[in-house]
Amino acid sequence: MNYYDFHIHSAFSEGESTIEQIAKRAKVLGFKGICFAEYFKNENQIDQLKQEIKKISQNEKINIYLGFEARSITELKKLKDIRKKYDVLLVRGGIPELNRKAVETKQVDILTHPELDQRDSGLNHILAKLAHKNNVAIEINFRQILQSYKGTRSHILEKMKTNIRLCKKYKAPIIICSGAISHLQLKDPFILISMLTLLGLEIKEAKKAISETPENIIKIIKKRQNKKWIMPGVEVE
Amino acid sequence: MKLKILPPSMREKKRYILFQVIPEPGEEFAYADLEAGIWNTMLDFLGEYGVSGTSFWLLKDSWNQKEHKGIIRCNNKSVNTVVACLGLIDRLGDNRVCFKILKVSGTIKKLKKY
Repeated sequence: MNYYDFHIHSAFSEGESTIEQIAKRAKVLGFKGICFAEYFKNENQIDQLKQEIKKISQNEKINIYLGFEARSITELKKLKDIRKKYDVLLVRGGIPELNRKAVETKQVDILTHPELDQRDSGLNHILAKLAHKNNVAIEINFRQILQSYKGTRSHILEKMKTNIRLCKKYKAPIIICSGAISHLQLKDPFILISMLTLLGLEIKEAKKAISETPENIIKIIKKRQNKKWIMPGVEVE
Repeated sequence: MKLKILPPSMREKKRYILFQVIPEPGEEFAYADLEAGIWNTMLDFLGEYGVSGTSFWLLKDSWNQKEHKGIIRCNNKSVNTVVACLGLIDRLGDNRVCFKILKVSGTIKKLKKY
């Protein structure tokens, strides 16, 4: 089975480790592919990142994808306009309006930690239905659990359980990522699967969240990079 | 008087988890740090009652200091719980570490290949 981690920050955004350090550690832990979720600054940055990623991907023999994480609605609009230039579009959850906008947008691949800094879980039955309709994967972020303690951790776990329950009921795709900002925070795929089973998924569903959901995103990436693709639902014959 | 051992069907089903600790280059930790780190994380995350249900035990004799490999014993229903707890450990003493799960098996003999 191939495992993927689709939410890692390198030193280009808020991360502490270089792309090379992260790629090396991911290879050791047994990942087939990883995706860097960087913050968007300008279009020149994309080419620079792509070149570096290509070089490291060939050296380390691991598939590396380039993603951008939108932190506001204006940033999401900008990233939507240049959607063909990069692989994965993630939206940083936590603001109710942004959560809604993310699951309504077909170009978005992943809604990251929708429960971030909120009193509720960040999702409800309507957003879960929309996520299923637009094929937006809801992320379970391991860093949220790793970096919290005691009461905070128990609240985060409770919210994640609610989100998983909603996603299961409305068949919205679930994805688990390490959300690492350093190569030290990358986790073994077995550990990520085990955490999902504690949060209420069956083993099969947990494996799907780390393997099949990212593979579906990769399929869409390949389709999108084809010259015939114009926008979701529109292709040239 | 010595108690008669339980029949196999009545005994608890055990699982052995072979793991490797990956430290940062130049950093080294002692076995005592590993033992304290795992026990404290387990007790913090699961609580005393939760840990009692896992039948958790760290096998001291199986620890390989050179390769940083060790074996944990637990019951068959708690493998995922124990593995998830290992994922929550990012430091042993003052050393930054990462855990890798190599194999889960029902006997120690089978783990020796890895």
